[in-house]
Amino acid sequence: MALIRAELLKVATTRLWWVMLLVMLAYVAIPLGFAVFSAGTTGANGQVIIPARDTAAFQELVWGMGTGGSLFAAVLGVVMMTGEYRYQTITTTLLVTPKRVRVVAAKLAASLVVGVLLGLAALLLTGVTLLVTVLAAGGEPVLTGTVARVAASVLVVLALYALFGLGLGALIKNQIGALLAVIIWIYIVDSVINLVPVLQPLARWTPGGATSALTSTGVTFGIDMSYLLPPWAGGLVLLGYGLLFSALASATTLRRDIT
Amino acid sequence: MIWVSLWIIGSTMSAIEIRELSKSFGPVRAVDGVSFTVEAGTITGYLGPNGAGKTTTLRSLLGLVTADSGSALVNGRRYVELDHPLTEVGAVLEATNFHPGRTAYDHLRVLCTAARLPLTRARDALERVGLAEVAGKRVLGFSMGMRQRLALATALIGDPKVYILDEPANGLDPAGIQWLRGFMRFLAHEQGAAVLVSSHVLAEVEQTVDNVVIIAKGRLVRQGTLAELVSNGGAPVIRVRTAKPDELRPALERQGAEVELADGVLRVRNLGVEAIGAVALEERVVLTEMTEERGDLQQVFLQLTGEGQG
Repeated sequence: MALIRAELLKVATTRLWWVMLLVMLAYVAIPLGFAVFSAGTTGANGQVIIPARDTAAFQELVWGMGTGGSLFAAVLGVVMMTGEYRYQTITTTLLVTPKRVRVVAAKLAASLVVGVLLGLAALLLTGVTLLVTVLAAGGEPVLTGTVARVAASVLVVLALYALFGLGLGALIKNQIGALLAVIIWIYIVDSVINLVPVLQPLARWTPGGATSALTSTGVTFGIDMSYLLPPWAGGLVLLGYGLLFSALASATTLRRDIT
Repeated sequence: MIWVSLWIIGSTMSAIEIRELSKSFGPVRAVDGVSFTVEAGTITGYLGPNGAGKTTTLRSLLGLVTADSGSALVNGRRYVELDHPLTEVGAVLEATNFHPGRTAYDHLRVLCTAARLPLTRARDALERVGLAEVAGKRVLGFSMGMRQRLALATALIGDPKVYILDEPANGLDPAGIQWLRGFMRFLAHEQGAAVLVSSHVLAEVEQTVDNVVIIAKGRLVRQGTLAELVSNGGAPVIRVRTAKPDELRPALERQGAEVELADGVLRVRNLGVEAIGAVALEERVVLTEMTEERGDLQQVFLQLTGEGQG
């Protein structure tokens, strides 16, 4: 526990975390705003693209928008690991705790905590936005099973993406390199695989596809989302990636010579 | 019984014991069969040119680098086996071991938290190295010397009895070096700590260390006390100044001394200070100076490490 607190203190005593927090909130606000202002959009044949503000479906959809912050959770995770190499604080860290497996475990746990905290901030923004919008539209806030699942998914997704970032940072010690890798993966590779129909059988197994599955509410923006796994399977896929990246962080950090 | 055996272990164990340590990085044999010990209450200078293998030795000792063979023990155990390493060993490695955006105090606070030490230790350590006034400042604006002091504070935080300092004088101004010397002497000679300090500049540690270990190209070339190292450059020479060198010289030579006269000063070998004094008394010659010439340590160092002329 002391080591997890020390790892969180490392994040809290530098400035990056609140920069990431603010940028993430701004970034999550974009789809939130889009959903609020385009609510009630229907397609040419009258099918619902974005549900109306006074419906439960609208609330279920909006609660999941915090997953847009996953990139920022991943960036914080990357920096929690690569910052140690960039500033050579890894030396001090390992002098304090020479049993490296403890350091890796503490870092993994701390990255999950950081992700959950970002998730809570995203949910808070989502909740306030929803409350104002729904009340103004004459509806009332609902707590359906789907709302609970989708909101919890935001926490899980951001926590795991922070962990993915940490594992990637352990593999690619170079901070800029690791950040580029995480951005390219989340923004380009994962998005392309999920948008190109031919690749969709593969897409359901990507972290992005699994996230979509976990937060799916039946609202599809008119896109065919049938390729996605069921929510529970999406959760398992994400968890699998979590284990993979944990193994990656361990395998690299436990053996490496720190020169 | 157990206390007896513990006492025996405690009294025979060196604070630092390096035995047949070897480590290669690819084709480069950075450390090649190095062995030496450091005892409590002494300062040992670990000397050698840049790239000789000093840092690799120290990093192996601290569990940061995994040696290929041999052992490196602190208080009889491998560093990675220590449960509370900061309370046993204080280490200073590079000066750049800080996140520039973190304050000096926060840096130590993180360490105290991880090491389960009371936070008051952070303030204490900053005071001991003279950084109390900049505790709340971010390391970004610190000079090289201030970073070195902060690094030393991290070593002091657990109040250990073994110190491993890798080129701690780098970046310090003359006043800082003076302070560092005094500090190392205080730790070793007054607090009874074992201090292992590496340097590529002999003059930096010459006045401070009790023992020296010299390494070149990964191999240990000499170890011993500073005095032994100097005398190895030849028999000690005593400079004798007198108004009547021509009278004193034959008397000294009769006692078996080897004497040469240069610029009116006698340089005497094979005869001690006391014997020379006795001869002078017998010959009723007034001596105006008698000094033991120090062998040129720097020269010895350069020869041993293969950095000399040639």
